[in-house]
Amino acid sequence: MVDNKQQWKAWLYLSPAIVLLLVFTVWPIFNTLRMAFMEGYGNMAAIGGATFEFGVDNFLKVIEYKKFLQCLQNTAILCVATVPISTILALLIAVALNSIKPLQKTLQTIFFLPYVTNSIAIGMVFAAMFNIVGLKQGAGVADTWGIINNVIQFFGGEPINWINAGSSYVANMVVMIIYIVWNALPFKILILLGGLQSINKQYYDAAKVDGTRRGRVLTKITIPLLSPMLAYVIITGFIGGFKEYSSIIGIFGEIMGPADDAGRLNTMVGFVYDALERDRQGRASAAALILFAIILVVTLINNKVIKKRVHY
Amino acid sequence: MRKRLVAILTMLVMLVGMFSMSGCSQTENVPNAFIVPEAGFNPNEEVTITFTHTMGAKLQDVLNTYIEEFNKIYPNIKITHQSAGGWSDINGQINTEIAGGTQPNIAYCYPDHVAMYNIAKSVVVLDNLIASDFVISGTNETLGLTDAQKKDFIASYYNEGLAYGDNLMYTMPLSKSTEVLYYDKTFFAEHNLSVPTTWDELWDTCEKILKIDPTCYPLGYDAEDNWFITLCEQMESGYTSAENGGQYLFDNAKNKAFVKELREYYQKGYFTTQELYGSYTSNLFVETTDTRCYMCVGSSGGASYQMSNNDTADGSFAFEVGVAPIPQYNKNNKKVISQGPSLCILKGKDTTDQQVMASWLFVKFLCTNVDFQAEFSMASGYMPVLKSVTENEAYAAWLEKGNGYEYLVAKCVQVGIDGRDNYFVSPAFNGSSTARTQVGALLLKCLSGEIPSGGSVDTLINQAFQDAMDECEY
Amino acid sequence: MSNINIMQERNIQKISAGQKAVRVLSKTGTYIFLLIMALIVLFPFYWMIISSLKTLAEYRQAVPTFWPRQVMFGNYVEAFTTAKLGDLFMNTLYVGIVSTLLSLVITVLSAFAFARLEFKGKETLFGALLATMMIPGELFTITNYITINQLNWMHTFTALIVPFLVSVFYIYLLRQNFMQIPNELYLAAKVDGTSDLKYLWKVMIPLALPTLISITILKMMGAWNSYIWPKLVANDDAHQMITNGLRNAFTDTSGQANYPVQMAAVAIVSAPLFLVFLCLRKYIMSGVSRGGIKG
Repeated sequence: MVDNKQQWKAWLYLSPAIVLLLVFTVWPIFNTLRMAFMEGYGNMAAIGGATFEFGVDNFLKVIEYKKFLQCLQNTAILCVATVPISTILALLIAVALNSIKPLQKTLQTIFFLPYVTNSIAIGMVFAAMFNIVGLKQGAGVADTWGIINNVIQFFGGEPINWINAGSSYVANMVVMIIYIVWNALPFKILILLGGLQSINKQYYDAAKVDGTRRGRVLTKITIPLLSPMLAYVIITGFIGGFKEYSSIIGIFGEIMGPADDAGRLNTMVGFVYDALERDRQGRASAAALILFAIILVVTLINNKVIKKRVHY
Repeated sequence: MRKRLVAILTMLVMLVGMFSMSGCSQTENVPNAFIVPEAGFNPNEEVTITFTHTMGAKLQDVLNTYIEEFNKIYPNIKITHQSAGGWSDINGQINTEIAGGTQPNIAYCYPDHVAMYNIAKSVVVLDNLIASDFVISGTNETLGLTDAQKKDFIASYYNEGLAYGDNLMYTMPLSKSTEVLYYDKTFFAEHNLSVPTTWDELWDTCEKILKIDPTCYPLGYDAEDNWFITLCEQMESGYTSAENGGQYLFDNAKNKAFVKELREYYQKGYFTTQELYGSYTSNLFVETTDTRCYMCVGSSGGASYQMSNNDTADGSFAFEVGVAPIPQYNKNNKKVISQGPSLCILKGKDTTDQQVMASWLFVKFLCTNVDFQAEFSMASGYMPVLKSVTENEAYAAWLEKGNGYEYLVAKCVQVGIDGRDNYFVSPAFNGSSTARTQVGALLLKCLSGEIPSGGSVDTLINQAFQDAMDECEY
Repeated sequence: MSNINIMQERNIQKISAGQKAVRVLSKTGTYIFLLIMALIVLFPFYWMIISSLKTLAEYRQAVPTFWPRQVMFGNYVEAFTTAKLGDLFMNTLYVGIVSTLLSLVITVLSAFAFARLEFKGKETLFGALLATMMIPGELFTITNYITINQLNWMHTFTALIVPFLVSVFYIYLLRQNFMQIPNELYLAAKVDGTSDLKYLWKVMIPLALPTLISITILKMMGAWNSYIWPKLVANDDAHQMITNGLRNAFTDTSGQANYPVQMAAVAIVSAPLFLVFLCLRKYIMSGVSRGGIKG
């Protein structure tokens, strides 16, 4: 099938994208590479006239960092936990939305509203929901326990210290996972809903005639036909998950952890930011490249697994 | 003959001496020192300068008015200004602009920011500009600061510009805030309590207050990092130093001892902080039901947050708020932290001398103009940096209005001016902001952290200090 | 005979009644699930609205209130009068529309090439594109800033539009969508002598309309929310974008924002966007039922 005309045409169609990518993406990546291999490189220092030697010191410094493994672990946990949960939830919501008649429009509109909600508001809601105010040490009393704890108490449970000083790592992670899933839902619903609409209705009509059960329709028709979109949502979800950072700032603030344990929830990109703030572009670039290598491996595995199952 | 020769020689030597003195009185052997050119500032040459700040719309209105005033003196200097958003935004933005060579001529700054710009050698050293006695033609102003102008500055604010470890002047103070002790005056009078001036007195007061109201937190302290730094400074125990590119000195026995002491008081319920409480402690302070706190250390710039929510319709308060200086460790070494924006002048390779001098003239105008300082203070709630502002009629009238917000600000300003000899700024270098974050977290960990099994409080404290040092030195 | 008939009829009725019960039950379940999720998703929006109606003091309270004690419609008035909302809105709309249109063209062409055309190095190129998504974009900022400066694009709309025209994210999304469309259609069109572009225009674009609308919405949202980049390259009055204008208008000396007023401003400027969505929604939901893939 590879004929010359198609070759020529393909590159023509791709040319605007490629030109722009070369200037605004590839060139910066090249710069990143350069900085990563210049020992102790800092932008400000470079302008100030400092010179740097070529070497791998930046990479060593990143690996030597006491909390490097912690950053890596946090990143991995967040990624592995949030992608499946948010994808499954989004799929269920999209399918449900697609299957109803009354209220459909209203509900679709509601699921779109997060898009026009200011991100500051989203962060604040979470703080308010999980934050315990005025917890007296040991006394078990507080001024306010937060809505989530109120619900737990309503069902007779013990309130949990989610994010404040003295909270556990597990509790912190649960909050982060809920927050990230919540944040990811609207986008995934939108994409999957669009995908569902592209499925030919005849398949469903055929299933209806055969009296196929709904569960079976979902697994045998919807999911296979939606698989390109699902693949997309999962792969980009993983890539985004590995770059998780701002959501942690949203809940825990700049210290990236509960008040008494700064940096406990720091991630790889968080590390990159910290380095950038201290004029250590070299170290930041090295960390970014290490992260890149990790994402690349995971994406390749993802691709292998998904390719077998995607139905085009 | 010989006498004449000696006389001539002496004169020559003196001349050369004078010449070299006038030539070399400018600091030259510093890489980014600005040398005032012999021709000085040219008031006829058009020049445009840019100014990046974080002012909201209200303050920008004040600024625009005074740009007009400034242009009456220097019609050839065109000033464009823009807001870069919040404090956390402006630093990153200017870093990028320095990288692109498009930095503004003047920027709002905190010492930590300036330390970063300094790595790129982009900050103009002001010493020669300040010292210049060049008279600008068409005006009767000198380029530099007159002695009267220098004396009018609150000295410790002025000295903030020298916090960079090399004894050179990098910034001019614009508007300042400090930490003050807000207290419930009504409650203090009712129970015959005196306002603490030392930490020991404070702890005694806390004990008494707890006996009166066992559910309260006697003291709320909003900023943990400020507390740690202030105590280091008051005890002269060492925090950081800007020398040799920055050193971290806070890991020492004296600091560990005071942290341990604070932990005991925290466990007794004497105080809480913003992070430990889970919200601004000023919220506790203004509260009149539920859990309360009767003393609150917070920024003088945040006076509006220290007013009771339950203000009655006639404008009177649910309780009267008193403002006092923060407690001290040693009455012979009083120290209070100073915060708030300063101005720095930036230069790149395309910046002309004329632009630098024009920028300096504008900086000088903003920092030394009594009317501007007064109006800016009224609009922002921050304190003016000049002593003479209190003599300004409009300002005095504003301070005396005596109700609500102005009343509190007036008190804060008064406390601020009374304590003007005690201000300090922590040293600034690349990494000083990390140190600040780390000591804040360290204090919190030491106050509320659980004692590790098989260890003692000291194990916890040593570990916390070690962790903080590791992060700083990484 | 008739008895048996009646029995059978009854049986049928019974079965359908049972089926009906199951259907009603599952429908109810679906609605309950959707309503609960809707409530959860809606909560931040609700929070934004009530925050915009609070006084600053109430907003800062330790124990948040779920309904403003004193409803401050004044915040909306202040938001309207303080920030130059009109100018900000027009600038953002311009950038949003131009960048969406150009971006759609580039994305459609690229996605078509990747989904339908065969050329050497296709897989490698696509893999490389995906790889560019894996590096944190923050590292690019300084280099791109310098590039823009050298191109003399500072303080122009070009600087706001061009660097973000290509999104691998969207190319990938649309490629997935195009690949859902059976290849037979394309081959049939080839046999008929239809040109690529005509086929793209007449067949692929209508079929991928829901995805294209999604991209449009996301791209418009991008213009609405962009903050860091516009602040660097075009923060002057003539080009200022909405988020920048809003963030800058309501801060005090210490750079702290007056959040209630800011929220009010956000709510005001979100309204048109919301209307745009309402108009576009039916296209997302229209689907291919009338598109006619007969396969």
